[in-house]
Amino acid sequence: MASTSFYDQLDEKISKVIADPKWQPADSDGTNETDASMRELLAVASDLRMMPSAGFKTKLMADLVGTAAPQFVAPPESEESILPTLCGEGYDAYPVHRYSFAASVVLHGATLALMVWSGMWVAHNQREIKQQVVALVTDVSPYVLPPAKDQAGGGGGGGDRDKLAASRGAAPKFAHEQITPPAVVLRNDHPQLAVEPTVVGPPDIKLPSFPTTGDPMAKVFGPPSNGTGSNGGIGSGSGGGIGSGGGPGVGPGYGGGIGGGVYRVGGGVSAPRVLYSPDPEYSDEARKAKYQGSVVLWIVVGSDGRVRDIRVQRTLGLGLDEKAIEAVRKWKFEPAMKNGQPVAVQVNVEVNFRLY
Amino acid sequence: MKAVESATDERLAVEAAQRDPSRFAELYENNFERVYAYIARRVGNREEAQDLTAEVFHHALANIGRYEWRGVPFVGWLYRIAAHAIADRWHRVVREGQRGEDESATLEEIGVDDEIERRAMLFQLVDSLPPDQRLVITRRFVDQRSIREIAAELRRSEGAVKQLQFRALHTLRAHMRSRHG
Repeated sequence: MASTSFYDQLDEKISKVIADPKWQPADSDGTNETDASMRELLAVASDLRMMPSAGFKTKLMADLVGTAAPQFVAPPESEESILPTLCGEGYDAYPVHRYSFAASVVLHGATLALMVWSGMWVAHNQREIKQQVVALVTDVSPYVLPPAKDQAGGGGGGGDRDKLAASRGAAPKFAHEQITPPAVVLRNDHPQLAVEPTVVGPPDIKLPSFPTTGDPMAKVFGPPSNGTGSNGGIGSGSGGGIGSGGGPGVGPGYGGGIGGGVYRVGGGVSAPRVLYSPDPEYSDEARKAKYQGSVVLWIVVGSDGRVRDIRVQRTLGLGLDEKAIEAVRKWKFEPAMKNGQPVAVQVNVEVNFRLY
Repeated sequence: MKAVESATDERLAVEAAQRDPSRFAELYENNFERVYAYIARRVGNREEAQDLTAEVFHHALANIGRYEWRGVPFVGWLYRIAAHAIADRWHRVVREGQRGEDESATLEEIGVDDEIERRAMLFQLVDSLPPDQRLVITRRFVDQRSIREIAAELRRSEGAVKQLQFRALHTLRAHMRSRHG
């Protein structure tokens, strides 16, 4: 810490510095450490003699700010100052590159061209696109019939192991129960309790009438015979009915009623389920005519799941019926089931053709 | 002194000021003490140095748009303007003035040396002093007041004022040593 005398000596010499700008401390003042410190402080004081007035720097700054606006108000006449970024000048202290603007123009142009081209391509290839959409929206689900009121299908058969085939004739009445099976050749002329022979089936079913009793579907008219089947009845089957089936009904099949056909969904018969359904194509002339509609096909789904016996139930024309058949023929189903066994069923399939 | 961190930063500051004059303040803050110290050393009079300093910066602001960056520090351009101003003030043609705003002229050729840099730094360091020390230095060296007058203004003893003067000079010397070697 400097002493009071040092402060006094320092101020005395500072007064000399201020009074005479050319005044320099004598060499004798720097002979010891204290004097060396004094010389350094006086050097600083000497430099401070010309320091600017307090507030001068701030005042000059204010003057410059006041004059700055009119000095630079006049804008350059070129467009570069309006959009300096576009011309590579940039804003503020950060210049931009001209190629950035050029790259932006190229990218925007390419995007616009792509949008225009894609729009023209869509307009030009509209038909192809519509065809693809049709394939996607084609209804591949089977046409499900409402459940049948009465049990359908079935059949029956019988015979008494005659060597001759059953002869053709009329079937007896249908009844809900069978007590006496039908017969062409009566083996017992004097039964103890005579009961009219019947076959099992809806009582209101009417079959072609013949003068004699027999198998309505037999190919031969005589000689009279109960057929080669067994367990009574008429035909080559078994079970007291008429025909080649089994049971008390008529025709091929089992379980009564009239057989020989395929089942329909309902009454214990489940609907087949589509496993594979390739899309139909749109015919050229229908596409050109922008023709739309639906085709209903009558098909039989066999017990093996394959489609057969395709018939057109509601036509559409312009080649679309054929296209629908061509596609549905390739379909594969999980077969319908009855009593745990796969059976053939008849279903209708509606194939839609739409242009979008 | 607020030094420009790099030539790139200074160039960006100049370009910004050329587009927006309000950005000239940054160049002013960075170069005021240097220009003033240069002029003060040449003219040896505070009032005249201040007038010329103001003239230099007004001229620089008005002509900043014509300044072209050639790798020379911006203060060199200001020194050349100052040399012109001093020559005009003295009503005599000096060699530096004849050379005009030659960008190739070195700072040594227009009379810039380390002393100017040291004084410029010292002038800026005064602003960093505590208020009471800064007031004593200003009154003593700018207003050339005596210790007694300053003591009366501050209502302190003369010894206290002398002590503040010593502390201020000591602080300035210490900063100068650390920054200027």
